[in-house]
Amino acid sequence: MASVRFDNVTKKFGEFVAVHDFNLEIRDKEFLVLLGPSGCGKTTTMRMVAGLEEATSGDIFINSDRINDVLPKYRDVAMVFQSYALYPHLSVEDNIGYPLKIRKVPPEEYKRRITEVARRVELDTMLKRLPKELSGGQRQRVALARAIVRTPRVFLMDEPLSNLDAKLRTQMRAELKHLQHELQVTTIYVTHDQIEAMTLAHRVAVMNRGVIEQLGTPREIYNDPRTLFVAGFIGSPPMNLIPGEVKDGVFASAGLRVGGAGHVSIPRAVLGVRPEDVHVVNPEDPDVNLVAPIYSVELTGENTLVSLQLGGRLMTLRADKNFAGQIDQRVGTRIETDRMFLFDAETERRVDIQN
Amino acid sequence: MATIRTRSRGREMLLRLSAYLTILVALILTLFPVYWIAANSFKFDIDIFAVPPEWLPRNPTLKHYDEAFIQRPFLRYALNSFLVAAGTTAISVTFGTMAGYALARFSYPWQWRKQISFWILSTRMMPPIVSIIPLYLFFNYFDMLNTKSALIIAYTAFNLPFATWMMKSYFQDLPVELEEAAIVDGDTRWGAFLHVALPLARPGLAATAIFCLIISWNEFLLSLVITLTEQSQTLPIGIAGRVTQYKTYWGEISAAGFMACVPIVIFAFIVQKHLVRGLSLGAVKG
Repeated sequence: MASVRFDNVTKKFGEFVAVHDFNLEIRDKEFLVLLGPSGCGKTTTMRMVAGLEEATSGDIFINSDRINDVLPKYRDVAMVFQSYALYPHLSVEDNIGYPLKIRKVPPEEYKRRITEVARRVELDTMLKRLPKELSGGQRQRVALARAIVRTPRVFLMDEPLSNLDAKLRTQMRAELKHLQHELQVTTIYVTHDQIEAMTLAHRVAVMNRGVIEQLGTPREIYNDPRTLFVAGFIGSPPMNLIPGEVKDGVFASAGLRVGGAGHVSIPRAVLGVRPEDVHVVNPEDPDVNLVAPIYSVELTGENTLVSLQLGGRLMTLRADKNFAGQIDQRVGTRIETDRMFLFDAETERRVDIQN
Repeated sequence: MATIRTRSRGREMLLRLSAYLTILVALILTLFPVYWIAANSFKFDIDIFAVPPEWLPRNPTLKHYDEAFIQRPFLRYALNSFLVAAGTTAISVTFGTMAGYALARFSYPWQWRKQISFWILSTRMMPPIVSIIPLYLFFNYFDMLNTKSALIIAYTAFNLPFATWMMKSYFQDLPVELEEAAIVDGDTRWGAFLHVALPLARPGLAATAIFCLIISWNEFLLSLVITLTEQSQTLPIGIAGRVTQYKTYWGEISAAGFMACVPIVIFAFIVQKHLVRGLSLGAVKG
């Protein structure tokens, strides 16, 4: 049972502000993902909860306890490191048991808990091995086991899956999600991988340059990005962001005209539209938004990614897997205007479109 | 294809042969003096200077061992050397490890980490002979001349900076997350040092220890100035003492010199496994 709260937390390294006036409440049992590019302050934020970094100002609470000045050992949090940080000189069993040994857990209970946790992460046959004798996925499991062996108040996970190969990552992602659901422990998870964030999180905090750009459920973040940064960061392939001008509800850019933006006018605007919200239509179609030559066609299996040449940039759209267009062929596209976003390039914030 | 393969195989053979030859020459150059000392220690005085040289002792004798270790106090010197070297090594490694850890891990305001590190290293920059007179006066003032403690203190002053730097670079090569993990797992800073950093630094400890040991075991200059009595003099001084005004006792010198090599060689063999990894420091991640 634990919630974590940041009240106006700032962290500076010398003159560099890593985390700026940070406010966030992570609810009990919640799986919260801090998502952002490297250097955005997400790991620093997590390390402040662990007690590995000190906040320069502001308060951090676990439940109602202010933990700024509490030693890490009394915070009762567990952390999984990106590098796993397994103790190389200790066996799997001793690695998992380390937190228990430090807390002087009696031998029978020590044995029982290690066996139980090892079985849960399927390491029960490898307890005597050294970390270097394990595969990447197994090491990852040891790191997890070491974190869950003592049911802490909060789990902290620092890009725990980034060292695994793609297939294993997908599998461990599912296991992690299941485990968190089963254990019901508040979790803060740091990643730069937006797919991990989307799939794992109850809520995602998208961070950039030390501040939260947007906080919301994965669905909100995806369907309702509040800033240009969030719009560009979430989604794969990313959202098309096309600079242009909006005059009385009509967006215009080189070769592209899209109406349906109510009556707004933005002198320097950016149109955002996701690849799946752009459709290939007959160039002669009356509601065609753009006619452009095809730059590349990539079949992904379930569908086809088509890039069109638009001025000096590319616009990507997701077409049917049976799409048969050729490179340089001119095709028409229609943008779903109720699924498009307009951003003010000055403020980088979204402008609401009233229809 | 076939000709190319044979040619490259011939080249390979040639390369390997020249490598072995080089190693052989190096081995002869380094090991021959040791062999010569050993051989001479078993010869009668007259045979030591035989022309042509007597490559193998024709009439082997233990006479010089008897002279050195039974009649003269070389066992005593050896004991002194051992106590001084062990004491110096223990103190240098203990404090060097802790200082090295502190320099590697803790944060310092401004540039203090660099300044302190350089200051520690700078004490090794002058030639040892420069400090001899101050050290002599210092030990004289505290009435410590002719004591093994004086030697231990003096040697530690020379070994500690070295041990600190060596352990510092060793700790810097250990991933810091391991200790962070220990701290989050509930350990204290001291506990993380003791349970995680120190066991992982074993190769570094071994390398540092053997260097300290060799330096104090072989040290001559300070010991010559600070100690005059049989109770405090070390092996190198004892051995040099057999070069007298009238005669140089080559047999005794050889016997004592050969025996003086033995403990270091044995110790090096014991820690060899760690030594190689300790010396390569960052090159091989543990």
